[in-house]
Amino acid sequence: MTAVTAREAAAPGAPRRGRRTRELSGLAGWTVLGWVAGIAFFIPVLWMVVTAFKPESAAETWPPQFTFSPTLSEFRLVFSGMGPFIEHSAVATVGSTVLVLVLALPAAYALSIHPVGKWRDSLFFFISTKMLPVVAAIGPLYVIALKAHLLDSIWLLIILYAAMNLPLAIWMIRSFMLEVPGEMLEAARLDGAGRFREITEVIMPVVSPGLVSTGLICVIFAWNELFLALNLTVTNAATMPMFLISSVPQEGLYIAHLSAAATVASVPVIIVGWIAQRSLVRGLSMGAIK
Amino acid sequence: MAVLEDVTSPPAAGLRPRGVSRRDRWQRRLPLLPALIYTIVVTQVPFLVTLWYSFQSYFWNEPGGAHWTGVSNYREVFTDPSFRSALWRSVTMTVIAVILAMILGILLAVLLDKKFIGRGIVRTLLITPFLVMPAAAALVWAGPMLDPNFGLLNWLLEPFGVNHVAWLTTHAYGSVIVVMIWQWTPFMTLIVLAGLQGQAADVLEAAKVDGASAWSTFRELTLPHLRPYIELGILLGTIYLVTAFDQVRLMTNGGPGTETTTLPFFLYQKVNYAFDVGGAAAAGVVTVLLTIIVASFALRMFARVFQFEEAR
Amino acid sequence: MAGVRYAAASRVYAKGARPAVDGLDLEIKDGEFMVLVGPSGSGKTTALRMLAGLEPLDGGRIEIGGRDISDVQPKDRDIAMVFQNYALYPSKTVAENMGFALKMRHVPRPERDRRVREAARILDLDEALLDRKPKQLSGGQRQRVAMGRAIVREPKVFLMDEPLSNLDAKLRVQTRSQIAELQRRLGITTVYVTHDQVEAMTMGHRVAVLSGGKLQQCASPRELYDNPVNQFVAGFIGSPAMNLLPAPLTDGGARLAGAVIPLSPAVRAAAARDKLTELVVGIRPEHLHLVAAPASAGSASAGSAPAGSAPSAGTGVDQALHGEVLLVEELGADALLHVRLTGDGDGTGDGAGRGGTVVARTEGRKAPAPGQPVAFRVQPDNVFAFSPETGARLAS
Repeated sequence: MTAVTAREAAAPGAPRRGRRTRELSGLAGWTVLGWVAGIAFFIPVLWMVVTAFKPESAAETWPPQFTFSPTLSEFRLVFSGMGPFIEHSAVATVGSTVLVLVLALPAAYALSIHPVGKWRDSLFFFISTKMLPVVAAIGPLYVIALKAHLLDSIWLLIILYAAMNLPLAIWMIRSFMLEVPGEMLEAARLDGAGRFREITEVIMPVVSPGLVSTGLICVIFAWNELFLALNLTVTNAATMPMFLISSVPQEGLYIAHLSAAATVASVPVIIVGWIAQRSLVRGLSMGAIK
Repeated sequence: MAVLEDVTSPPAAGLRPRGVSRRDRWQRRLPLLPALIYTIVVTQVPFLVTLWYSFQSYFWNEPGGAHWTGVSNYREVFTDPSFRSALWRSVTMTVIAVILAMILGILLAVLLDKKFIGRGIVRTLLITPFLVMPAAAALVWAGPMLDPNFGLLNWLLEPFGVNHVAWLTTHAYGSVIVVMIWQWTPFMTLIVLAGLQGQAADVLEAAKVDGASAWSTFRELTLPHLRPYIELGILLGTIYLVTAFDQVRLMTNGGPGTETTTLPFFLYQKVNYAFDVGGAAAAGVVTVLLTIIVASFALRMFARVFQFEEAR
Repeated sequence: MAGVRYAAASRVYAKGARPAVDGLDLEIKDGEFMVLVGPSGSGKTTALRMLAGLEPLDGGRIEIGGRDISDVQPKDRDIAMVFQNYALYPSKTVAENMGFALKMRHVPRPERDRRVREAARILDLDEALLDRKPKQLSGGQRQRVAMGRAIVREPKVFLMDEPLSNLDAKLRVQTRSQIAELQRRLGITTVYVTHDQVEAMTMGHRVAVLSGGKLQQCASPRELYDNPVNQFVAGFIGSPAMNLLPAPLTDGGARLAGAVIPLSPAVRAAAARDKLTELVVGIRPEHLHLVAAPASAGSASAGSAPAGSAPSAGTGVDQALHGEVLLVEELGADALLHVRLTGDGDGTGDGAGRGGTVVARTEGRKAPAPGQPVAFRVQPDNVFAFSPETGARLAS
């Protein structure tokens, strides 16, 4: 049995050298890899934003310019031209999201806390509507909208976007409601809370953050939607995606202008997405994954 | 002398478990009804109308409105080579994009699962492509990124011998797929990452003690654990990607020729350029039927993945 | 088969923080069943994980079979571990779980199967279970699979991290003896971590008591019980716990609840050397002997006075502890009395009769009722004395 040397009997805190260097080189390796991947994926977005600050003359050059004198002229053009578009986008997005939450909350309640008999079937019905492509019905949809005098109306978009997001919202809110501890509800019932009290004082406090993230996810999908807007609107309800398309003219330089428009159109949702990052997975997986 | 009583006597005849009252049943249904009715009306009615129109001959640009034409629209759909090629293109593009996005997603998820400096920022950078408006992404890729004369990609690849390639002309199919992958990889990454983070730490430690290398642990334990997550990602990714429209319309307009014409774009063309509502309706119905077949497959998989989500 | 040695092993989580394991010196003989016991935060689990290689050493070293394994990877240490929550591989069958380590070492399939089946037989695991997945098994079955996974390895050392804590009480008692018997049969050096001192006492050849990252005492269960080296060990080992009460020093002994407990000259000398005015006195519940109630001194005793004890009446200073029964816990053969000591039993009101409560063990049938006054006597040999400052035992 070898004697314990003075070095080995050192006070705690003296690290063993071999392990430390191994740890540090591993850390360095992953850090480099991580940043390379992150930047690689982010370059198109970065390039979009950079090009937005260029004057048109500097945007379509070879080689591409990385140094230039930045200007806000394209942004100014975008801001002056996008007025009605962004207004329509905002109304359609907020309106449809409010409608979705109003419909989804009680439905999620009926599928989780006091479930109906056929809750499984209902859930699958909702998700099946997401699986059927709306593209298939676009022609007749157009005709229906025309006959109902809803063509090129913001209300049409609100209605359709709500239908588009409803299954997602129901699954998502339901997954939040399932997290309310059963014992809390039973304790409330014993304390004499009726249905209304149960909702306002037990369920809502637990579920509110989830409602916010559900709303944010719905906002992302409604804001970005192109297909329905393209086919069913012209001017009175044209949304930001339409504005983007319109910034590609038949001729002339347009790249900087396009980049500015793309940046302005994307930034709100990017910020919303960064904030709601944590619940992005839950929303995208319909509440399957927390 | 005491007699042993039969403690396990049969239950009294006629006993049945008490069910839920009728009134309670309706009380539970009530909150569900608004969403249910709304969805049925807004989603099912258009499809019924589509079905109706599929049996009509109805051209926008012709006077006279719609008139009955039986199954001739369907005959046309099944004999039209462009429908079949659009269908095929949708299938192949979706499959390639979903699989590649998932593979990339797994790699990136493994990366994000490790601790490194600035991990949070890298994660934020990696999810951004998903948040960018698809229309914006498509236009930015088409112009500032891929243009043969001033696109960034050509400049980045110049040292590798790439010379002013017109990506959207010579490699349209691949370019569209690349953009789809770029936008959907973050989605796959997040789902797989959630799976990775859900692994029990002590199971991984047990593997270490049992002598498994990092690769063995990944292959034998992590991948099986990730299977439901990967399935969910592929399932959802397919559902979303098969109806992808923005990239085709804004990058290549289905071209060159019909090289990138997917089914959604095909239908869009039929309505907007051929003004053929009846034909588009029939094609739409066929699309829906095909989707139903795939979807019931998918729903069964969904049921398996969601089996742990029981209602109270 | 090999012995294990911790040599001044230390682990600290943050610079300047209290070490989780502080200079642990412990030697475990080949084939020994060593139990590491202590409250949560004592460092016992960390010490085990350091042996496993799941925690690095920040100081000192650890040897297995004389070889320094401090920097060796877990898989190369030839150890097997049973985790608290079993850590079974959820996607694999029971047989695959148990054979996994062998598979990693490229043991051929037939040999693997043989060893798995052998381990299953030793553990009384039904062969039908071999093809099931962990989630289809009961808690007790999973526990045995976790043990089987370790046994199959035939390692130098078994490590067990509270393997019984997730079982229900009855199963725990059953499995306890099974594990002890298994270890006896296989003869593999075992390091076993638990917070339950009953487990420690019944299973280990020797028990190492840890607190605050430091080793308090390592000895056989009997030695720990009869000769605790400090107040912590005295109070931790034994159920119900030893009664520990502060008692000021006085002539010939320590004053407790009005009575004077005699102390040996050695203890008194140690106390004087440390300039103590007060001690912590420790008496085990079974050493508090019930005597006749003070009001009827001389009448037949109601409790059990052991043969050979001096009669209490009329020997000057009253040596009995008086109190009132608060609660009686029926254990069947025995009863535990929770008694509140009423100070100044003989009226020597010097204010030092701090009451406190004690627990005493008596024969079940003769236990007094709550509310009744009682008196206890204690043999001087059975009184432990500890320093109130360091907790160390004062002489013996």
